[in-house]
Amino acid sequence: ATMWTDSVMLAGLTLTAIFVSHTAGVSAPGRPRLTGCRSPEKETFTCWWEPGDDGGLPTTYALYYHLEGSETVYECPDYRTAGKNSCFFSKNNTSLWVNYNISVVATNAMGSSVSEPVDVDVVYIVQPNTPEDVRVLVVDDDPGPYLHVSWEKPLAADTQSGWITLVYQLRVKETSQDTWEEYNAGMQKGYNIFSLLSGREYAVQVRCKPDHGFWSEWTSPAYVQIPDYMLREHSMWIIVAVFAGFLLFVLTWTVNVKRSSVKHCLLPPVPGPKIRGFDPHLLKSGRSEEMFSALVTQHFPPTSSYDDLLVEYLEVYDVEKQELVLGVKNEDPLAPTRTSDNDSGRGSCDSRTLLTERYAEDGDKGGADRQLGQCVAELASPPLEEEKVEAWSTPFSPPPLHLQRQQVGGARAAYHSVLEIPCDSPCAPGSYGHQGESDISKPGGRGASTTLAEPQAQSAEYVEVQTVDHENVLLLRPLADPGGPDVDYAGEDYSKIRDVIPDNVLLLQREPSAWPCAADPGQDRGERSCPTALQELMQPCKPPGPLQQGLRLVANGYVDASAMLC
Amino acid sequence: MVRRSQNHKLTLAVAVLMCVFVSIDGVSLNDLLERVSQLSDKLHSLSTSLTNDLDSHFPPYGGRLMRPSMCHTASLQIPNDKDQALRLPENELLSLARSLLLAWSDPLAMLSSEANTLPHPERNAINSKTRQLQDQTNSLGAGLERLVHKMGTSSEVLSSLPFNSNDLGHDKISRLVNFHFLLSCFRRDSHKIDSFLKVLRCRTSKMQPDMC
Repeated sequence: ATMWTDSVMLAGLTLTAIFVSHTAGVSAPGRPRLTGCRSPEKETFTCWWEPGDDGGLPTTYALYYHLEGSETVYECPDYRTAGKNSCFFSKNNTSLWVNYNISVVATNAMGSSVSEPVDVDVVYIVQPNTPEDVRVLVVDDDPGPYLHVSWEKPLAADTQSGWITLVYQLRVKETSQDTWEEYNAGMQKGYNIFSLLSGREYAVQVRCKPDHGFWSEWTSPAYVQIPDYMLREHSMWIIVAVFAGFLLFVLTWTVNVKRSSVKHCLLPPVPGPKIRGFDPHLLKSGRSEEMFSALVTQHFPPTSSYDDLLVEYLEVYDVEKQELVLGVKNEDPLAPTRTSDNDSGRGSCDSRTLLTERYAEDGDKGGADRQLGQCVAELASPPLEEEKVEAWSTPFSPPPLHLQRQQVGGARAAYHSVLEIPCDSPCAPGSYGHQGESDISKPGGRGASTTLAEPQAQSAEYVEVQTVDHENVLLLRPLADPGGPDVDYAGEDYSKIRDVIPDNVLLLQREPSAWPCAADPGQDRGERSCPTALQELMQPCKPPGPLQQGLRLVANGYVDASAMLC
Repeated sequence: MVRRSQNHKLTLAVAVLMCVFVSIDGVSLNDLLERVSQLSDKLHSLSTSLTNDLDSHFPPYGGRLMRPSMCHTASLQIPNDKDQALRLPENELLSLARSLLLAWSDPLAMLSSEANTLPHPERNAINSKTRQLQDQTNSLGAGLERLVHKMGTSSEVLSSLPFNSNDLGHDKISRLVNFHFLLSCFRRDSHKIDSFLKVLRCRTSKMQPDMC
């Protein structure tokens, strides 16, 4: 009973003490923990622990160990060498190839606690110190400088005897970058690093490891600056660039000098118009005759058999109302003078169409004059007629005429084929002859009177142009002026058409001045056996027989060739 | 005169032939030492990898509580620290290495046969690595034999380190535990071999200064 009460009291006291201690805030220390052990050279080693809760009281720590296969417990020989919470095992205390069973005990006023035991074999925990004396050297070389890194073994490691075998590793990094480049150097104590950028700063670190152990810590970085070696390469490129620039300059200058030919080559000019036979250089020389002569071709303008159809017309207008249309035939190219023309027999279709009859319209104007039967031919447009006369006189078109002309000899008078002389009053030659003089516009000349056919009959009569006065008035006189003393046929020869050759050639027959009497004017167009026309003309406006339509009766036996040609 | 020249020629020919023989004989001492060092290094690395494979699914703490206290090679007197190791002559170093290596030929054979049926998720890797371990051990043994001949050391009697276990056990746990224990013993012994051979490498050969 006493023992029971004693144990109860003891338990109660213990509980009270625990309770009291807890309420006071103090307790036994918490369990420490061994964090690790390391041997730098496989000769000594150090163990570290971290303390647990100290329980509010000063706590002491003790490390105890015993060797494998032995029960003897030893305490740590050295707590100081390796620092706080550490235990350093010197050479004498270090055995290899044997397990150490190590534990740490924390003790304070309230109690103590033991850490977890740790088994350590020293040969398995070797971690050397960092390599010593790391040096980085920039070595100049051909393509560029390289780094030569050298170092020494850690101080304590005995590699000389082969007791510890170390392998090394280094790493390089540009100071501004983040990634390291690692290199394994094996057992050598130097290494070359190539292909580093010029002008940059690099950091180098080295570490080592035993053959069976842990890597050491990295050495503190060694900084090195790579020199600017690109200058050497730059100078070459500068030379190349200058040379290329010079070549480019020369090329550009050449192209510039020859730009016209280059332009001609690249953009060939569009050929301009050319005239065959026309040499523009002649223009420069200023001799236009040569130039134009080249232009003129032999056969231009084209002429043909119908050249004789070309007719230039001389428009002759009546002074007052009547219009006289005279056709000036331009058939004599080679007759420069008016007097030598005897082509009065020619005519043309076109000339016919140009005839206009105006007299019908005019009615009874100028009745007195009409009655007088005087038709004064006036040139309508003086200047034009002059031209035309001139033209007629000097024909423009040179081509030869098919008509064979036989000079009847001395036909001096210029004959105009009067295509139509509309006159609304019968013409009385006789009355003309006498009274025409007074009405003649020109006082000086002989009265030009024309024998007019009936107005409706568009027959042509030939008149003879006496003169052209200063007012550009043609003074005409009928060829068949019966009564006119001024009719002077002296010395005039008239051609009589003998025959017409098929290709529109009139054969003129020379006849004595006295025309024979025409039997029948309408018999034959082409032939006149006798000059009845003249006699008819001599008779005052007696309409010759049956007026043949289409037959152009002309005085003096002339046949209007135009009818035939039509 | 003619005879002398003939003698000269003969000497020269013999010398050339001897040089050739030496070169044909094969690997130089340096190279041989380098080779065995590399082999031992690989051997230890492989055992470490195999241990890690086992520990990935094997709670180490629980296994330690139940394992046998001593490896079968513990009786071999080996240096405990660097000073002791550096004091050993080359032949002793070599002898130790050879003894250790020899002691493991039987256990490794047994481990290889047991690895096939080991109740472990990493059984395949463990199995292949165990076989590699066995092969490399045999290679190293052969290399060490040549080294002995090369070095001309007296053939010392190797320590006998018997291995008495025939199998790992019958139950799953004990098999795993025993496998793990044997592997840990081998890992340590392979480290010893490697260390001794590397000391031997730096001592006897004329290696380059930066290597040793």
